[in-house]
Amino acid sequence: MISFEQVNKKYHDKSALVNTNFHLKRGDMAFLTGHSGAGKSTLLKLIMLMEHPTSGKIIVDRQDLGRLKRAQIPAHRRKIGLVFQNHQLLMDYSVFDNVALPLKISGYNERDSSRRVRAALDKVGLLDKEKLLPQVLSSGEQQRVGIARAIVNKPKIILADEPTGNLDPALSTEIMRLFQQFNQVGVSVLIASHDLELIQRLPHPVIQLNQGRISGPPSLMRQ
Amino acid sequence: MAFFKPRQAHNASRSQPESPSKRWLREHKEVVVSSWGQLWQTPFANLLTWLTLAIALTLPAGLLLLLSQAQHLGQQINQSSHISVFLAPYASLEQGQFITQQLELRPDIAQATYISAEQALIDFKASSGLNDILASLTENPLPATILVEPANAFVGTDAIAKLAVQLRQLDQIDQVLVDMAWLDRLQALLDTSERFTYGLSLLLAFGVLLVVGNTVRLQIESRKQEILVIKLVGGTDAYLRRPFLYAGFWAGLFAAIIAWIILQLGTSFLHPSLLLLAQSYQSDWQLQGLSGVGSLILILTSCGLSVLGASLTVGRQLRLIEPK
Repeated sequence: MISFEQVNKKYHDKSALVNTNFHLKRGDMAFLTGHSGAGKSTLLKLIMLMEHPTSGKIIVDRQDLGRLKRAQIPAHRRKIGLVFQNHQLLMDYSVFDNVALPLKISGYNERDSSRRVRAALDKVGLLDKEKLLPQVLSSGEQQRVGIARAIVNKPKIILADEPTGNLDPALSTEIMRLFQQFNQVGVSVLIASHDLELIQRLPHPVIQLNQGRISGPPSLMRQ
Repeated sequence: MAFFKPRQAHNASRSQPESPSKRWLREHKEVVVSSWGQLWQTPFANLLTWLTLAIALTLPAGLLLLLSQAQHLGQQINQSSHISVFLAPYASLEQGQFITQQLELRPDIAQATYISAEQALIDFKASSGLNDILASLTENPLPATILVEPANAFVGTDAIAKLAVQLRQLDQIDQVLVDMAWLDRLQALLDTSERFTYGLSLLLAFGVLLVVGNTVRLQIESRKQEILVIKLVGGTDAYLRRPFLYAGFWAGLFAAIIAWIILQLGTSFLHPSLLLLAQSYQSDWQLQGLSGVGSLILILTSCGLSVLGASLTVGRQLRLIEPK
């Protein structure tokens, strides 16, 4: 589903990713770990086309990202549900409107949109909070709104950047369980996290980044 | 407030899939409604923008209005212009009347009126108030005159000049007088004003583009977070551009309405003094407000310029906001 071939990314003279190869198969779930600055965010940004690689090839859902034109980027991003550490909710949108945003831009009509938003909110257990503004929610709830927004469009891939960064262990476990549930219905999931304790308790392969160099189980690494 | 915020449905729509054109229409309808609602979130700031735009529109529109009507007045005066043909002192009354009759037969002359030397003196006495001096003269210094009014098809300055040359060549005619100079001056003045107005219109149209562009730039700046998130969840440029273009459209529409009101007020304010001016030229000319067509042109120009100003800015500004 996501594959990196000899990908390098340099910022000025500093290398953020060096000769990165990996392959996340359709329906797989994996963690991406490493110190801050190890290149986790860079890797996710490359998948989202927020950055372009200095060299190498990235293929997402059989599409070579290097060949995408600017106008094709939105369609690419719609395949991916992105969850942020700071959840990136719009504070003057209600919970419902935040979650409805990806549907709105995809041109769903009101009826289909409402049905899907409520299903997504139900999934993360926030159906009763749809009319509230995000600032009155706890940070765990806000994170779950962010997750509902990421899944509402039924993406093929979910990327999460430190989704449990600000949460206590109980909430973190709960969030991870949500991701596992999406994975069980066939969504490919890649989660960047430095919460090693939590990651090691879960039965998913771990990719490690250390100063831009990648390592991990052979099932994920390409030659 | 949220610029791109979806509207909540109050009733469920039909469930069959939409055609692309229906979807396009629905999406535009939604943006029309939401951008209209957005206007009233910051009414004061918007009003200031509209007033600025309205002033930039009123100046050239007002000048163009005045100019087009002054040209109309110029034509009227041109039409009422006549040629004074002074007969030679030796020409008799009969000869004068004969020449007048001959002139009337010409196709390029609408009317020729014979004024005898005696009649001219009486008229002059009445209008000049120089009775005493004129009474002291032993003989009438004024010649007999034929007032020639060119036919309608021959009213242009060139045609009148040509007619005057022909009249000058006739027998028993001393002098032919056409007061063309002031007509030429009027035309030159109108031409100059016209060029000035077009130049000013061009400058102020550019001003409208800048004002709308700057307003949109500020709006985009204040919605940076919203735009970033929309880009990350896959919003297209067209989707992001739409509300700003409609915001430009509304600004243009309201500016045109305000400009229209200012123009109507201005017209009725100028009307009495212009009426006096027109009357002094024996013209029944009246300053008209904007016609229906004129109003439509004002609105279309204003909306067009505003949407253009918005679209010139919005594409560039949106490219500057990329998720990092």
